[in-house]
Amino acid sequence: MIRLLAAIGGPVVAALASIGRLTRFAVTALLRVVQPPWYPAQVAQQMLTIGWLSLPVVGLTAVFTGSALAQQIFIGGSRFNAASTVPAVTVIGVVRELGPVLGGLMVAGRVASAMAAELGTMRVTEQIDALVTLRTDPYRWLVGPRILAAILVMPALVLVSNALGVMGGWLLATQRLGFNSAQYLATTARYLEVDDVVSSLVKAAVFGFFIALMGCYHGYHSGGGAAGVGKATTNAVVSSFILILLSNLIITVIVFGS
Amino acid sequence: MTGPRIAFAGVKKAFGKRQVLNGIDLAVAPGESLVIIGGSGTGKSVTLKCLLGLIPIDAGSIRVDGQEVAGLKGAALDQHRTRFGMLFQGGALFDSLPVWRNISFALGGSVAERRAAAIDNLARVGLGPEVADLKPSELSGGMQKRVALARAIAARPPIILFDEPTAGLDPITAAVINNLIRTLVTDLAITAITITHDMTTVHSVADRVAMIHAGTIIWHGARAELEGCDNPYVRQFITGSAEGPIKVPGVR
Ligand SMILES: Nc1ncnc2c1ncn2[C@@H]1O[C@H](COP(=O)(O)OP(=O)(O)O)[C@@H](O)[C@H]1O
Ligand SMILES: [Mg+2]
Repeated sequence: MIRLLAAIGGPVVAALASIGRLTRFAVTALLRVVQPPWYPAQVAQQMLTIGWLSLPVVGLTAVFTGSALAQQIFIGGSRFNAASTVPAVTVIGVVRELGPVLGGLMVAGRVASAMAAELGTMRVTEQIDALVTLRTDPYRWLVGPRILAAILVMPALVLVSNALGVMGGWLLATQRLGFNSAQYLATTARYLEVDDVVSSLVKAAVFGFFIALMGCYHGYHSGGGAAGVGKATTNAVVSSFILILLSNLIITVIVFGS
Repeated sequence: MTGPRIAFAGVKKAFGKRQVLNGIDLAVAPGESLVIIGGSGTGKSVTLKCLLGLIPIDAGSIRVDGQEVAGLKGAALDQHRTRFGMLFQGGALFDSLPVWRNISFALGGSVAERRAAAIDNLARVGLGPEVADLKPSELSGGMQKRVALARAIAARPPIILFDEPTAGLDPITAAVINNLIRTLVTDLAITAITITHDMTTVHSVADRVAMIHAGTIIWHGARAELEGCDNPYVRQFITGSAEGPIKVPGVR
């Protein structure tokens, strides 16, 4: 019995300890985001890396997925004589779920990994120790700007993702499925509600927070050598994927579930 | 007679089950250049990081000018760190910043002033102003070490720590670095601790020498005493022999 408790207890204690460590990391970083001094140049640099450089991959994902979604809704809808629902269902699907989630996952793949690799390398090459020795708080200089930039830039990125996703659907519907362009756009506009857009942007900001948090956390606590950095990178991507999918479900249930 | 600038007493540090420092006792007088020798993984870098307050110690005491380091926090810890310049083992230059911003990182003033200060310090380590705008990745290993050295001295700290300043350098570049350290110690009247396993560094830089083994200081004395020393650990180290009391893991 005691042995059983010990066997369960060890991992549970370890899990609780790492949740505690992560929470402390997140709180420390967020405090640095709101308290001066700030490093606007660092934030701007990160917004460029996270936002601008992610546009191609996020845009492509949105266009292709929006088109595929429209095609599937058309096929499914035809079975119930409801093929005309294509514009309405596409815009709801894209704005509420696919735009933010796929955008978030693509950015996580690009950015969480890059942040973990960069901070991990700084850790193992003693650059973080050097920063502290030169009396600069790494939370303020490295972590804070990344988290702030991700929170600010993800909504803009998801807005673009949503627009391109809807455009992908429209393109396919008008070019292949015989929809009238003006009617398609009018229906889209009629079914798109403010709540949909707001929830999409809230999700984007939350995902941005988790992406930067996981990238920085795993990089900052990276173990020694190239292997340690590699592991930190993998952990950053996997954990930000899980947090994005989980928080997406929670927000969806809270906003649309009732 | 003034007290020691730096005093370690019974300093212990373990990482998990691994006891890295096992009671370090060490004192460095103001203006003195101490060289710490010892094999790889014996806790030399950890000793310096404890001194800087980068790694908290488990037991013992570290005093700088009489002030206890353990337990310092926030502004007091930052104040403590202003006394030090540190040359990290790999240089630890920020690779996202150009050379001049690395060197002037902790300095105040306008951009022009900081840039001028950086170029000034570059000259001290024998590098020209054309290096100032390069990124660290564009420099050779020896130049990176020199830039890191320039960063360590930029704020004119009274104490400078050098972690393996010549490791991985060719003998000529190593000699240049050794001379630079000696000149800095003499010219700027600093207190220095240098870690090395390079005997040429010991000979050109040290006033006094301490040998660390298995987490304790097993010998210390003036540099002149090193040659005549009959401590078997020290003898094995300075002759670079595979035979002796120091066992390299994995070698019988
Ligand atoms: N932050 C750390 N966490 C865990 N172990 C560490 C840490 N820093 C150093 N060590 C371990 O302490 C030992 C001594 O390291 P170090 O002081 O870097 O050796 P050296 O004498 O070669 O400079 C090594 O076994 C190293 O793995
Ligand atoms: Mg070392």
